[in-house]
Amino acid sequence: MASQSHPYLNGDSNTHIPKKPKLSSLSSSFITEAEIQSEFSHHDSTIARINNGSFGCCPSSISNSQQHLQLQFLSQPDHFYFSHLKPGILRSRTLLQSLINAQHLDEISIVDNATTAAAIVLQNIAWSFAEGKFNQGDVAIMLHYAYGAVKKSIEAYLTRAGGHVIEVHLPFPVNSNEEIVFEFRKALEKGKENGRKVRLAVIDHITSMPTVVIPVKELVRICREEGVDQVFVDATHGIGCTDVDMQDIGADFYTSNLHKWFFCPPSIAFLYCRKSSQCLDLHHPVVTHEYGNGLAVESAWIGARDYSAQLVVPKVFEFVDRFEGGIEGIKKRNHENVVKMGQMLAKVWGTNLGCPPEMCASMIMVGLPACLGISSDLDTLKLRTHLRDKFGVEVPIYYRAPKDGEVDLVTGYARISYQVYNKVDDYHKFRDAINELVGDGFTCTLLRG
Amino acid sequence: MGEKEELRNGDYVAKKPKLLKLSISDPEYLLASEFSHHEPGTARINNGSFGCCPESIIAAQRTWQLRFLKQPDHFYFSTLRPNLSKSRAVVKTLINASDLDEVSLVDNATTAAAIVLQQVGRRFSQINDTVVMFHCAFPAIKKSIQAYVTRAGASVIEVRLPFPVNSDSEIIAEFRKGLSKAKSNGGKVRLAIIDHITSMPSVLVPVRELVEICREQGVDQVFVDAAHAIGSVPIDVQEIGADFYVSNLYKWFFAPPSVAFLYCRKSNSSSSTMHHPVVSHEYGNGLPIESSWIGTRDYSPQLVIPTIIEFVNRFEGGIEGIMARNHEQVVKMGKMLAESWGTSLGSPPEMCASMIMVALPSKLCVTSDDDAFSLRSHLREKYKVEVPIYYRPPNEDDGENEPRHKDGLITGYTRISHQIYNKVEDYYKFRDAINQIVENQQVCKMLSTK
Repeated sequence: MASQSHPYLNGDSNTHIPKKPKLSSLSSSFITEAEIQSEFSHHDSTIARINNGSFGCCPSSISNSQQHLQLQFLSQPDHFYFSHLKPGILRSRTLLQSLINAQHLDEISIVDNATTAAAIVLQNIAWSFAEGKFNQGDVAIMLHYAYGAVKKSIEAYLTRAGGHVIEVHLPFPVNSNEEIVFEFRKALEKGKENGRKVRLAVIDHITSMPTVVIPVKELVRICREEGVDQVFVDATHGIGCTDVDMQDIGADFYTSNLHKWFFCPPSIAFLYCRKSSQCLDLHHPVVTHEYGNGLAVESAWIGARDYSAQLVVPKVFEFVDRFEGGIEGIKKRNHENVVKMGQMLAKVWGTNLGCPPEMCASMIMVGLPACLGISSDLDTLKLRTHLRDKFGVEVPIYYRAPKDGEVDLVTGYARISYQVYNKVDDYHKFRDAINELVGDGFTCTLLRG
Repeated sequence: MGEKEELRNGDYVAKKPKLLKLSISDPEYLLASEFSHHEPGTARINNGSFGCCPESIIAAQRTWQLRFLKQPDHFYFSTLRPNLSKSRAVVKTLINASDLDEVSLVDNATTAAAIVLQQVGRRFSQINDTVVMFHCAFPAIKKSIQAYVTRAGASVIEVRLPFPVNSDSEIIAEFRKGLSKAKSNGGKVRLAIIDHITSMPSVLVPVRELVEICREQGVDQVFVDAAHAIGSVPIDVQEIGADFYVSNLYKWFFAPPSVAFLYCRKSNSSSSTMHHPVVSHEYGNGLPIESSWIGTRDYSPQLVIPTIIEFVNRFEGGIEGIMARNHEQVVKMGKMLAESWGTSLGSPPEMCASMIMVALPSKLCVTSDDDAFSLRSHLREKYKVEVPIYYRPPNEDDGENEPRHKDGLITGYTRISHQIYNKVEDYYKFRDAINQIVENQQVCKMLSTK
């Protein structure tokens, strides 16, 4: 740790005036390293937790605020329902509106997670087919690396309703945005064959496995040029990871989880629906008396349940502002650190990264030594379990199948994450675990059978 | 009586004593230990709306939440699924389902309705497909029908629930009438939605008989909305015989918000075509599995169900004992209020469970839903009494059978609940508040706070 310049002591002269300066010196009013570790002291200390991408994290001060809200409800639920709930959700939505630069508050709905947001958008598509607005065979485009739940949602709501799906094949490892744009254009052309209409493009902002930052702004522009009806950006990993500006990106629908990279408790996400979109008859699938009052209002009441994760958002904004540079500072440092750690690992193992540094945010794919013999998805799951159980390292593994003619290639990649609670030691632990496996002549065949 | 005695015993109760010498059924004890988080000074006689959660269960829930936050990947891969199965197994036994696959855990009855209605909507084929429901079905159900049934082109027939009601046969007669009407245009009745215990006004409905009638009359599928049932009345899904049955566990079964179970009869072939509207990678693996993973979220309310069984078994007679005592007390309190106000009950004692409707003095002049809401808010703010009020519009059909009071027509009812934390003082407080308002010659319109 000593050799690495401490991210929190960079006396950046552009820092804003801190709210409650404790001492007269420069940066001491920002959250300290010790305070950060204390906020995450509930994390299993025996595990090198380098998988923030899957389930995110929640600081204990936010958990405490959440518990306080839960107790407030339980104390007098009727009063809470009639007087506190709606204003609380409104407050959260207002904060999110400014965070993502949405023009109208109506455009922001809060839902459980991106999976729910996908169901909302796609259910609407299904109705369009059922009600004859779309023709049988009309097309939806999605990335081949779209998240499993989104693929299934498309199957459940679109294919089942008579739509046709075209997948954009992305190269991986990837070297430049151009490669992605090229494949996307190809898929769009295919979609428009035979006079079909492309009704929806589902584009990941940051793909999950393998992870890559997609040039969404450019792809949205191409969609508009090519007459795609609507664009839905699945930015599960968006907020707190990469830049999220609704005016800049220009999509019709945009969703991001807040419990992954924005320190909210499980679970909460927002769904942005551009007001100028043609089709604004979106509904939450769980229907209550609020049906017909607009998606945002419908989503704010889907029956009696625990809304505390949605109400705690203002506290999260306060938490984030304790860091130097706020969420922008956090994003920047996470990115720098994950690239640094990724490069360190790739160098030690003699492998490569899955993408250039500018095509990743707070996560990066790092090639694993080929001698580990990863040859299937099952291998990756078993290796992951082995790393967890035997070495105390939590990290997801991806199987990259060799294409025709490829030999001696890296077939396994680890997706490492970097979040504020991570330390260099976490990555050293991972580095050493893999080195030990390699040194022992370990291959995945040993885990089979 | 035993009232004074209860209070005296209460004085000796330390904050969190070990169980045994003192009756856990003693509300004073419970208020001090398991429900100390309830707002003090409020007469909370509305368990029906949002339920309650004892501190033992809250603590168990926190443990689960912390386990997830500590190492979520391990939790997801090793802990979540087996423990959800445990919860489902508990529910299966409670409701006498024949197969674990018939039991899914969802957020609430409203979610279950979306699941059932989406499935039914997919089966609509003819022009004259019809869905039958009670006119007083829960508002969310009515809107769900609009969203999934009406929008898909099917029609809806509402069965009037007679209220105030005197016997099961009144309900059965109306239901038969409704079914005939639904079949009269030659269409198929695709679904009948039957409340086990209606919400507002609240009445215990003879579901078994109504389901039988549905089978007799060739109704495709029957969905029982039993939001209030579990922890209120015994449930035997074999006996009841419906295709789908849902009940909320956070209302009367001490679960934290929120969890409900949805039972789908295996012998109904369409059970395998039921899907959760939030689609994850588990799509196609059956509703119980789909519902056990609908993306990252807090599943802790679903995981504490075995702990709830431990909790209720600390009471004499377990959940049966609790149900019996709640029923007895709510009837007693209902009668006490009706007597004090010179009014009546909305149903005979055997047609209610842990909630009962009590007519309000007509001098209050409840003439609209807004009036009912104003009165409710006033009771909460001025008297610290939490209780829902129901506006019962006069019905031309009833003529001389309209409910009457010494001072006029009865148009307002209150729905009182009784749960283990309630004391008689809660109901006295309510009794006195109403008497005070009447004495002050206030009517609902005067009470509007805005």
